[in-house]
Amino acid sequence: MASTLKKIILKSCDGKILEVEEAVAVQSQMIKNMIEDDCANEEIPLPDITGEILSMIIEYCKMHVDGENNSNNELIARDADFITRVDLNTLYYLIVAANFLNVKSLLDLTCQRVADIIKGKSPEEIRLTFNIKNDFTPEEEEEIRKKNAWAFDYKD
Amino acid sequence: MGQSPSAALDRENSFSDRFGFFSSSFVSSDGFPDEFVGNRDYTAEIPDDCLAHVFQFLSPGDRNRCSLVCKRWLCVDGWSRHRFSLNAQSEIVASLPSLFTRFDSVTKLTLRCSRKSISLNDDALVMISTLCRNLERLKLRGCREISDKGMLAFAQNSKYLRKFSCGSCMFGARALNAVLDYCTNLEELSVKRLRGIHDGAEAIGPGAAASSLKTICLKELVNGQSFEPLVVGAKNLKALKIIHCLGDWDRVLELIGNRNRSQKENLYLNNYDSNGSNDHLMEIHLERLQVSDAGLSAISKCTKIQSLHILKSPECSNYGLVCVAEHCKLLKKLHVDGWRANRIGDEGLAAVAKHCPNLEELVLVGVNATYLSLEAIASNCSKLERLALCGSGTIGNAEIVCIAAKCMALKKLCIKGCPISDIAIEALGSGCPSLTKIKLRKCRGVSCEAGEWLREQRGSLVINMDTCEIDGGFEASVSNGGIHEAGMDYPQVVGQVTTGDASTSSNGGLALLRSKFGLFASRNLVACTFRRWTYGDDTSNSNL
Repeated sequence: MASTLKKIILKSCDGKILEVEEAVAVQSQMIKNMIEDDCANEEIPLPDITGEILSMIIEYCKMHVDGENNSNNELIARDADFITRVDLNTLYYLIVAANFLNVKSLLDLTCQRVADIIKGKSPEEIRLTFNIKNDFTPEEEEEIRKKNAWAFDYKD
Repeated sequence: MGQSPSAALDRENSFSDRFGFFSSSFVSSDGFPDEFVGNRDYTAEIPDDCLAHVFQFLSPGDRNRCSLVCKRWLCVDGWSRHRFSLNAQSEIVASLPSLFTRFDSVTKLTLRCSRKSISLNDDALVMISTLCRNLERLKLRGCREISDKGMLAFAQNSKYLRKFSCGSCMFGARALNAVLDYCTNLEELSVKRLRGIHDGAEAIGPGAAASSLKTICLKELVNGQSFEPLVVGAKNLKALKIIHCLGDWDRVLELIGNRNRSQKENLYLNNYDSNGSNDHLMEIHLERLQVSDAGLSAISKCTKIQSLHILKSPECSNYGLVCVAEHCKLLKKLHVDGWRANRIGDEGLAAVAKHCPNLEELVLVGVNATYLSLEAIASNCSKLERLALCGSGTIGNAEIVCIAAKCMALKKLCIKGCPISDIAIEALGSGCPSLTKIKLRKCRGVSCEAGEWLREQRGSLVINMDTCEIDGGFEASVSNGGIHEAGMDYPQVVGQVTTGDASTSSNGGLALLRSKFGLFASRNLVACTFRRWTYGDDTSNSNL
C-alpha cells in the first residue's frame, strides 16, 4: 500500500502548488502515463490550468476514488451535484483541463452538461447562451437549413 | 479523447475558423471594450474534439440546430457525425454530393422513405456507395425503387459493410446474394417484409460472408424458406431470430442441429479444434412460427445456447423444452409466451430448474406455471436476477411467497395480470433481499395500501404500480368528497375519459357512455363504474 500514499506534486499556471495522493492523481490518464514513465518525481507544471480549476478537478477525482465502493447510483448523484454547482465559464475551463489531463469520466460529465444546455434550443438561443457570433450569411444559413431537412430527427 | 488542445488544430478548416475567431475577437474587444470583455465566446477555446464529444450526446435534431450556430460548429458537426438517417425520397438525389461532402465520416446510414413518397432509386444508391466508401452499416426502409441491380452495384462498392438491414423493400433474392457475396465482412443481416422474394425464387446462400455472419434476423417473410441455405450455411452464427415467417421451420432447425452434430463428429476424427469452438449458436428467438418439438429437440444439440425465446409458437410443448433444458445447460435467458396454448408448463420449467443453474432471466407470458415448477426454479436457479410473470391464471400468492423466500439474487420482478393479492406483497416486503425494482400491472387483487406499505418497508425499492395511479386518484376524491371540491374533480374525470377514448377507439359507444357518466353521475358511481370498466379493458388486453 506504500505506493498509494506517494504524493504527486502539481503546479498550476498561476503558481499554485498542490500535493495529491497518487491514487487520486492517476485518475488522470496523462499523469498515470507520466508516473509509469517515471517522469512524475518532480513537480508537474500544468501551463493551461489555473489553481482554482485544478482544485476542482482534484476534488472530483478524490470523490471518485473515495466513492469506489459506493453504488453506481450514488456516484451518479454525486456527479450531478458536482456539475450543477459549476457555472458556464468554469465549465469551459473544466472541459479544456479534463481533456488535457485526460480524465475520461469528468470529460464525459462536462460535455454531457454542455449538451444538456444545448438540448431543445434554437440556433439563435444557442448563440446567445454561449456568446457565439453568427458568421453565416442569411443565404448560407438558408442553404444549410435546406440540407438539414433531409436528415431525420430521431435515433434508430 | 485526451488530445491536447493543439491537436485539434491539425484540421485545416478549424484552424482557419479559430484564427478567424481570434482576430475578430481582438477587433471587437478593441472596438467595443465594454460589450465584449465579459462576454467572450469561451466555446472557441474548447478543442474541436471536445466539441464533437458534446455533439455526441445530442439527437440528430439538436445536431442540425447546432450546425446552424456558426461555421466552426457546422464543420465539427460535419466530420463528427458517424450515424446518419436520411429521408430517402427520390428528390434527395441532387443533394447527395453536397450532403456527403459535409458529412464525410458517415459509417452508419439509414435510408427511410415513407409509404406516400417515391423512394430514391438504383442510381442514387450507387452514388451513395461511391460517396460513402467506409460504410459499415446500412439500413433500408421502404426504399421501393431500389432493385436487384442497384443492390448488386452497391454491394460491390461496399466492402466494409458489417451490418445490413432491409425492410419493406422490393428487391429480392439476387440482391441479398449480392450483399452476401461481396460484403465479406458482413456480421449482421436483418430482413423484414421483403416483397421481391417470390415463389421459386433462387435460394439465398451465405456466399462469402459464410464465416463472418454472426446474427441473422428474418421477420414477416412470405417465402422465408428460401433463406434455408443461408441459415444453415452461416457456420459461425451466434444469434438467430425468426419472427412470423410462413412455412415449416422444423426442417431448418434440424439442419442446424445436425450440422452441429456432424461438426462434432468431424472434430473427433480430425482432432481439429480441441475446444469445440465450432458450436457458436448462443441465442435463438422463435416467434409466431410453425415450429414444433422436433425443431426444439434439434436445436438442443447446440449446447452453447444461452438465450432462448419461444414465443407464440403453439406447437411447442413441454417435451421440446425438456430437450433443450437437458442439453443446453448454459442457458441464461428464457422467454416463453405460451399464447394460452397451455402446452408448456410445469414439466418443462421443472426440467429448466433441474438442468440450468445459470438461469438469470425468466419471462413467462400466458404460461400456466404453478408452485411445483416455480419452487424448483426459485431453489435451484440461484443466479436468477430478472423474473417476469404475465397473464397467467395459475400464478398466485403461493407462487410469489415462494419466490420471495427463495430468490436471493432477484433484482427485478414484474407481475402482470396474475391473481395475486396483498398476501404476495406482504411476502415481498421481507423477501428477495436483492430486489431493486418491482412492477405490478393489472393485478386486481393488490390494493393501493399494500403498495404504500411496500414502499415504506423497502425505501430503496423502485415500485411501479398501476393500481395506485388509477384507484388512488378516485379513492382520494371519493373519501374527501367535499362539495366544494366538485369543480376540481370533474375536469379530472373528463381528462380520464379522453384518454379512454384514445385507447379504445373501436368502442366509441362505451366511451360516450363514460363521458356521460363522468359529467352527470354522482362521483361515487363514476368511481366504481370506472374501476369496473378499467378491469374490463384489462382482461381484453391482458394477454400480451
